[in-house]
Amino acid sequence: MLIKTENLWKTYDMGAEKIHALQGVNLEVVKGEYIAIMGPSGSGKSTLMNLIGCLDTPSQGEYTLNGIKVSTLDDDQLARIRNREIGFVFQTFNLLPRATALHNVELPLIYNGTPPGERKRLAERALSIVGLADRMTHKPNELSGGQRQRVAIARALVNRPSLILADEPTGNLDTKTGKDIMDLLDDLHAQGNTIIVVTHEAEVARFADRVIHVRDGKVESEERHKRSSAA
Amino acid sequence: MQWFESVLVALQSLRANKLRSILTLVGVIIGVTTVIAVVSVISGMNQYVASTINRLGTTTFVATKFGIITSEEAWLKARKRKNFQREDMLAVRELCESCRRVGGKIETSRKVKFGNQSLADVNIRGITPEVNLMTDTRLSEGRLVNTNDNLHRRRVAFIGLEIKKQLFPNIDPIGRVIQIGGVGFDVIGVAEEKGSFLGQNLDSFAEIPLTTFERRFGRRRSLGIYVQAASVEVMNVTQDEVRSILRSRRNDGYHDDDSFAFMTSESFMSLYRSITSTAFIAMVGISSISLVVGGIVIMNIMMVSVTERTREIGIRKAVGAKRSTIMLQFLIEAVTVSAVGGVIGVLLGGGVAKILAATTPLPASIELWSVIAGLVVSSSVGLISGVWPAMKAARMDPIAALRHE
Repeated sequence: MLIKTENLWKTYDMGAEKIHALQGVNLEVVKGEYIAIMGPSGSGKSTLMNLIGCLDTPSQGEYTLNGIKVSTLDDDQLARIRNREIGFVFQTFNLLPRATALHNVELPLIYNGTPPGERKRLAERALSIVGLADRMTHKPNELSGGQRQRVAIARALVNRPSLILADEPTGNLDTKTGKDIMDLLDDLHAQGNTIIVVTHEAEVARFADRVIHVRDGKVESEERHKRSSAA
Repeated sequence: MQWFESVLVALQSLRANKLRSILTLVGVIIGVTTVIAVVSVISGMNQYVASTINRLGTTTFVATKFGIITSEEAWLKARKRKNFQREDMLAVRELCESCRRVGGKIETSRKVKFGNQSLADVNIRGITPEVNLMTDTRLSEGRLVNTNDNLHRRRVAFIGLEIKKQLFPNIDPIGRVIQIGGVGFDVIGVAEEKGSFLGQNLDSFAEIPLTTFERRFGRRRSLGIYVQAASVEVMNVTQDEVRSILRSRRNDGYHDDDSFAFMTSESFMSLYRSITSTAFIAMVGISSISLVVGGIVIMNIMMVSVTERTREIGIRKAVGAKRSTIMLQFLIEAVTVSAVGGVIGVLLGGGVAKILAATTPLPASIELWSVIAGLVVSSSVGLISGVWPAMKAARMDPIAALRHE
């Protein structure tokens, strides 16, 4: 079991009233699965993603990622987990604007102390996997949207994380480029990566083995797609 | 993340934001420039004064009636003391065993005339030839006052360069007769230029034999007894010896203080220090204010920088940067910026000091320690002013930071 959440609550204290963004979410994900988390805005899917991505800790409940109890960790321990276990892909790409593609991909390796030579080699390999071997020295503003998202995916891959977490990965891309990115994620899944995509588009969710619908802070329903590569 | 990386990131962001960097640097540069320039001028003055005072040498001291007087009370007391006479000097010369040389000097001011040209308030010194061996009077032409001149009370004068310039602009002064206080003297020699010291022209003097001085200008003035010890090692022994000779000649009681004082180059130095040290500390202190201002500028701009780069901080945190890592990155940026400013400031400050030295009478000396201090202080200013913004950056919530537009 890669991910296991038990009765996950997240409550935001907004002064007078308390907002329950998550209200007892139970979720299990095994290694190699491709999951889509769907829901309208305000459903709590972003909160769920933040918790799964170890960017935040739950108010109540247990979250175990790859055997590590995440719910009790402090900021720096969470940073370490994010560095080792999770690769993020964001809707807005979130690349360092002044750094080259190569440097952007190297970033997670810098923070886990990989020596420079090794770092460069790994980053170059990750960029080749996403098809940007010839764009390594380009800066984000010299790349197209699709290429930027590929750099972000390379960055997510470079640490060989146990989970790739993509938040609306095609939200800022046109249909054709979005499709290319989803195909790339599909390939990565075929190579054995565990992927969770958070989206509100059925088109995107269609690629997943399993779609989890979230509404009002709860898992509303789950559906399994008949796909060949389920774990 | 490693120091080196952070320094590279810092330099990169310096280059990427040129205007902002320049503004930040200006604060530090002005601060360091001012401090370095002020310190250079101060230490230049100190060295200059020390070298001037040390012309007396480390083995020489002067016994005088007054010594160095720093209060009116001391002056009133010293005024009642007996004068030193030539006989006191001769007694020391005869009795002191560890003395290498003993000489005497009396000073006054007189008008000096040649033809219809005259110079007022010239420093007239009656000396024995030993005095010239203990001080740094250097011969430019002619000869110095010698023992025979003293023996025969000759009316001869050895003049400073200023006298030659004013009274003998076009002719050779040697052999000419000048009037000193209405008495004719043969000019026998001219001194090398000494320049000026703290605004006083050191070249406006005439040296005549001590004996001639006494005959022509009276014996009412107290003599300065110049003593050179045989070596630095016996300096204290010599002073004790001279002290006991003089005490017994002046009948100073067993429990009384000396009725005279010794002046050494050390005593002049400590006088100089006591006069100037407070002023110098104040000067450095005031010029340091601009460093504080520079620090505030850095802090301000770092705050803006942190806000501007919220997203970057979010990204770095998302991919695994710890609080301490982010903190370190921003601190290194602040220190790098201010250290760069420090280097430029040191160069500019050195330049300003050199220009001051070249265009004004102020001497300047750029000290290694002030350069190091300038760099250390400017880096510390960066470090201190970087702490708050860096903490702000380190504490950012990654989720909020990533969402920041």
